[in-house]
Amino acid sequence: MSKKKKVTVEIILKAKKNGFSDRQLAQIFGTSEEFIRDFRFKNEIFPVYKTVDTCAAEFEAGTPYHYSTYEKFNEVISSDKEKIIILGGGPNRIGQGIEFDYCCVRCVKALREEGYETIMINCNPETVSTDYDITDKLYFEPLTTEDVLNICHYEKNIKGIVVSFGGQTPLRISKELERNGLKILGTSSKNIDIAEDRKKFGKLLDSLEIPKPEYGTANDSVSSVKIARKIGYPVLLRPSYVLGGRAMQIVYNDAQVEKFFRDEADLSKDHPVLIDKFLEEAREIDVDAVCDSEEVYIAGIMQHIEEAGIHSGDSTSILPPISISKKNLIQIKEYTVRIALALKVKGLLNIQFAVKDNIVYVLEANPRASRTIPFVSKTTGVPVVSVAAKIIAGRKLKEFKLKNYEDLGYIGVKESIFPFQKFPKVKMFLGPEMRSTGEVMGIAQTFGEAMAKAQESTGSGMPVKGNIFVSVNENDKRKKTIDIIEKYVKLGFGIVATAGTSKFLNENGIESETVFKVNEGRPNVVDRIKNGDIQIVINTPLGSESRYDEYAIGWEAVQSKIPFITTLSAASSFAEGIAYIKTGNIEVKSLQDYYKQ
Amino acid sequence: MPKRTDIKTILIIGSGPIVIGQACEFDYSGTQAVKALKEEGYRVVLINSNPATIMTDPEIADATYIEPITSKFIEKIIEKERPEAILPTMGGQTALNAAMDLHEKGILKKYNVELIGAKVEAIRKAESREEFHDAMKKIGLEVAKGKFIKDFSEAKNFAEETGFPIIIRPSFTLGGTGGGIAYNVEEFETLVTRGLEASPTNEVLIEESLIGWKEFELEVMRDINDNFVVICTIENFDPMGVHTGDSITVAPSQTLNDKQYQILRDAAKKVISEIGVETGGSNIQFAVNPETGRVIVIEMNPRVSRSSALASKATGFPIAKIAAKLAVGYTLDEIPNDITKTTPSCFEPVIDYVVLKIPRWDFDKFRSSNPESDVLGIQMKSVGEVMSFGRNFREALQKALRSLETGRSGLGSDGKDKFSFEYLTNLKDEEKSNLKLRILSKLKTPRSDNIFYIRYAMLTGASMDEIHNSTKIDKWFLNQIQQIVEMERELHEYEVQDFQN
Repeated sequence: MSKKKKVTVEIILKAKKNGFSDRQLAQIFGTSEEFIRDFRFKNEIFPVYKTVDTCAAEFEAGTPYHYSTYEKFNEVISSDKEKIIILGGGPNRIGQGIEFDYCCVRCVKALREEGYETIMINCNPETVSTDYDITDKLYFEPLTTEDVLNICHYEKNIKGIVVSFGGQTPLRISKELERNGLKILGTSSKNIDIAEDRKKFGKLLDSLEIPKPEYGTANDSVSSVKIARKIGYPVLLRPSYVLGGRAMQIVYNDAQVEKFFRDEADLSKDHPVLIDKFLEEAREIDVDAVCDSEEVYIAGIMQHIEEAGIHSGDSTSILPPISISKKNLIQIKEYTVRIALALKVKGLLNIQFAVKDNIVYVLEANPRASRTIPFVSKTTGVPVVSVAAKIIAGRKLKEFKLKNYEDLGYIGVKESIFPFQKFPKVKMFLGPEMRSTGEVMGIAQTFGEAMAKAQESTGSGMPVKGNIFVSVNENDKRKKTIDIIEKYVKLGFGIVATAGTSKFLNENGIESETVFKVNEGRPNVVDRIKNGDIQIVINTPLGSESRYDEYAIGWEAVQSKIPFITTLSAASSFAEGIAYIKTGNIEVKSLQDYYKQ
Repeated sequence: MPKRTDIKTILIIGSGPIVIGQACEFDYSGTQAVKALKEEGYRVVLINSNPATIMTDPEIADATYIEPITSKFIEKIIEKERPEAILPTMGGQTALNAAMDLHEKGILKKYNVELIGAKVEAIRKAESREEFHDAMKKIGLEVAKGKFIKDFSEAKNFAEETGFPIIIRPSFTLGGTGGGIAYNVEEFETLVTRGLEASPTNEVLIEESLIGWKEFELEVMRDINDNFVVICTIENFDPMGVHTGDSITVAPSQTLNDKQYQILRDAAKKVISEIGVETGGSNIQFAVNPETGRVIVIEMNPRVSRSSALASKATGFPIAKIAAKLAVGYTLDEIPNDITKTTPSCFEPVIDYVVLKIPRWDFDKFRSSNPESDVLGIQMKSVGEVMSFGRNFREALQKALRSLETGRSGLGSDGKDKFSFEYLTNLKDEEKSNLKLRILSKLKTPRSDNIFYIRYAMLTGASMDEIHNSTKIDKWFLNQIQQIVEMERELHEYEVQDFQN
C-alpha cells in the first residue's frame, strides 16, 4: 500500500529550483528520464534564460550570454535567422583538452562566415569558446540531453547541431538528441556507428580489402582467454566506449587476461571488452582527412616516434613522416580515401594505421575532430577545421584550394607533457592509456632542429654533454640499441649502465661504467642523478621485478628535470636533436613566414 | 589618458603546454589580449610553444612563433621583430618567469624593450616572499608567520613560538614535493628532516598553519590614475588547506557581511597600490579566521590567472581585454564596458545570481600504491573545471555536478551513489550511527568526493555542527546542502504511478 502523494507541477518546479535534474527525479520516482521530460513538457515546466550582463540588469545589455533558471521572466529572444548549435567540449581532462576548444572555436567562426547564427553551449570557464564575442549566442550550461533540449525549446529555425568538434562530450549525447528530433550535422549517425562498432567496422574493412589486426569481443574472462589464444598473444584488451584508452592493457598470457577482468570489473560490466592482436614494434601512423562524401582531402599524415602500444595522445608525432616507405604511404592514402567514401564522411576523419612487416593495417577510424587537428593545421597552415565545418554546412571540397602537406619543406614535431611530478609512486612508462595533459610543438627545416625545439619546450631541455644512464630490458639487448648508444658516444657522452646492460654494451664494443641499481648498494644510480652526474636517463621497462628501481630512477629524473626516455625509438630521435643543438644554430621563424615558403 | 603612440609592436608571451595548474585559461586571456591590442592598431607578435591553442592560429597575431618559451629563443624573436614592449601578464607564471629572466640577462635593456602591464619591480615585490612580506607590513597588513630554516634546531624554536599545526615547504622542489602539515612534534621532526633532504638547497620554509580558515580571492584592476575596481569576489567552499585550484569556489562571496567585505576590499586596494601594478589586473588571496576575523594576505598574482578567467566568465567583464588596454595607457573610465556598451569599465560588476566552479580530477589515470594520492592539499591536482550559474547556491551546485561528466546527475540520488537513499534511511539506528561516525571521520581529510559524503552524512543524521567540525566548511554552505537533502526527502513522499500508462 503506497501512502505516497501524486506528483504535482508545484513539487517538480520546486525541485527544479533546487537544481534537481530530470535524471535525478527519474531515479527518485523510479521512472525514466524521458517520462519526467514528457511530464515537464506537457505541463510547460521549462527553465527561463537570463542574461549575464555585468550590471544585474540595471542597464540594457547587448551581449547574448545566457544561463538557465526556473523562474518566470525569460530574457532570451530567438531570431528568425537559420541557426546552428555547436556543442563544446565540457571540462578538460586527460584525453579531452584544449584541442577541442580550438576545434569548436574554429567551427563557430567558419559557420558565422557562412552566414548562420551560431549558438555555443559549453560549461568550461577556461575556454575561448565561452568568450561572449566568439559566437552569436552563448549558453553557459551543462552538456546534458536535458539542458540542450531545454535550449532548443526556445530557439527557432535550427538547421542542426554539430557534435563532431567537441571530442567525446557531445558524442555521448548525440544519439539521444537525434531521437528527440534534432538534426545532427555531418557524417550520419548510422555511419558513425559503423566506425565505432568493432564488428561492423571489421566487416567494412573486409569488404574494402583493407588489412586489420585480428580481433574479437567478449564479456568475461573465460571467453576472452579463448579468443586471445585463437588470435595469439600478445593482445590488447580494452573496454569499449572509453576515450583516452582508459584501462587499456597489453597482455602476454592467460593469467594477465584474468587479472584484467578482476581489476576492471566495473568497466567491463556494461560494455564488452575488445580484444585485438597487438602488433609488436609496428610503426604507428595517424591520418587526419576532410571529406565531403564525394572527395577526400588528406590534411596530414603523422608518424609516431614510439612504436605501437603507446597511446597516440602520448606519443611524439612527426609531420610529414620521415621513415615510412613510399609504397606504404600510397597505401595509407588509398585506404583513407576508401574508408572516407565508404562511410560517406561529411567533415573530419581521423584514421590510425600500423605498419608491420611492410603491411599496412587499419587500427581504427573516427569520423570527427581528433586531438591532432590543431597540430596539423599549425604545421601546414591549412585551416582544416574551417573547411570541415563549411562542408558540414553544405559546401564541397572542390570549392577550396588546399595545398598538399607533402610539399612543406619543413617539419613539425609534437611532444607530450606529463604530470608525473604531481603523482608520486605512479609508474612513468608510457602505455596504451593516455596520461599526458598537454603538448608542445617544434617547427623547423630539419627533423633534428624541430625535435630539439620540441624538447626544449617540454622544460627538461636537451643536454649536450655529460653522462647518459642506460638500462634496457632483455628484448632490447640487440643491434638497434647498440646503434643508438653509439650515437650518444659519438656526441661525446659518457655511458653509465646497470651491470646487465653494461655487460651487453661492453660485449658489443661500447665502453661503459657500471653503476649500482638502487637496491644493490651505494652510491647507486639515484645518488648519481642527485649529484648532477647523469644528464639523460634511457630506461626501457623491465617488468614487475625491478619496478621499485624504475620508480626511484624515474622519480629522481622528473625531480631533477632531466630527460627520462623509455623507448629506444625516442632515444634515437633525441640523439638527432642533440646533434642539432651542438651545431649552435638557433633560428626562429614565424608561422606566417613558414606558410609563405 | 590616450593610448601610447611610442609603441608600435608588442610581444605577448603565452603560457606553453597545458600542465596541471596552468591550463587553457591562458589561451583565453592571451587570445583576448592579442585581439584587443590589434584593435588599437598595434602590431602584435606572439610566442607560445603550444600548438593546440587558438592564440597560435596564424590569423590571430601578426607574427606567430611556435618556439620554446626560453630567454634564448625569445631574444632571437626580439632581435628579429624589434618590439618596443612586452606584455608578460597574459601567459601565467611561465610568461612572468620568462620576462624576469629576460630582464636579469640584460636582454630587455640590450634591445630597449619595456615590460608593460607589470614592471620588473612589481613582479619581484609580488613574487619574492621577503619583499612581499615587507611590503605588507609597510601597509599594515598581516601575512602568515613563517621562516626559512636550514637545520632542525632553528625549526624547533619556531614551532615553540608559533604552536601547531605548522606547514613545511621544502625550497625548490617540484610541486611542493616533500612538504606537508605537522600536527605534533613527532610529525614535525619527520617532515622537517625529510624536507631538508628533499630540498636541493637544504632549506625549508615553515609557516604557521591557516588550515580551516576561510579563503577568499579578489579579482581587482587598477589603472595609471590609481582608479581601482573589484571585478569579483570569489569564496572558497573548501577552507584553507586545499589549493584554490582544487576547491569548489563560489562567486560572489556568500558568507561575508558588508563590513567584512569592505575590509577585504580596502586591503586589496592597498596591496595592489603598494606592489605597484599600475596598469592591469591582479588576483589577491586572503585567509580569514572564522572565529576572530583576523585577516591574512596569502599571496598576490600581478597578472591574469585561472581565477580571473573564472571571474570574467562569472561576471561578463573581460578582464584580459581590459588589462591589455590599460597596459597601453588607457584608464578604466575611458574604456566602455563591452556588454552594456554604455557604462565605462570603472563600474564594478554587480551580479544577481550565484556562480560555482567545481574542479575535475582524473585520479584513476594515476592509480598508484599511494593511498593518499587523491587527498587534496596544498598542491593542485585537478586537470580541469566546470562552472555553472543558478539563482541560488543549490541550483548552481547541482548544475555544476552534472556538468562534470563524471557520470553524476547532481548531488546524489542519481543511481550512482555509494550508499543509496533507501539504504541510508532504512538503516537500523545503531548501524546508522556507526556509519555516520565512519563518514564523519572520512570527511576530516579533504578528498575529491567529499561533497557527496557530506550528503551521506546528513542522511545518516549527522548534525551541521558535526559536519562542520569534520570539514571546517562554513555552515552557510552546509545549510544549503541540507536544503537539497530536505528537498530530496520531500520528493520521496511523491510517486508518479498514477499518470504513468
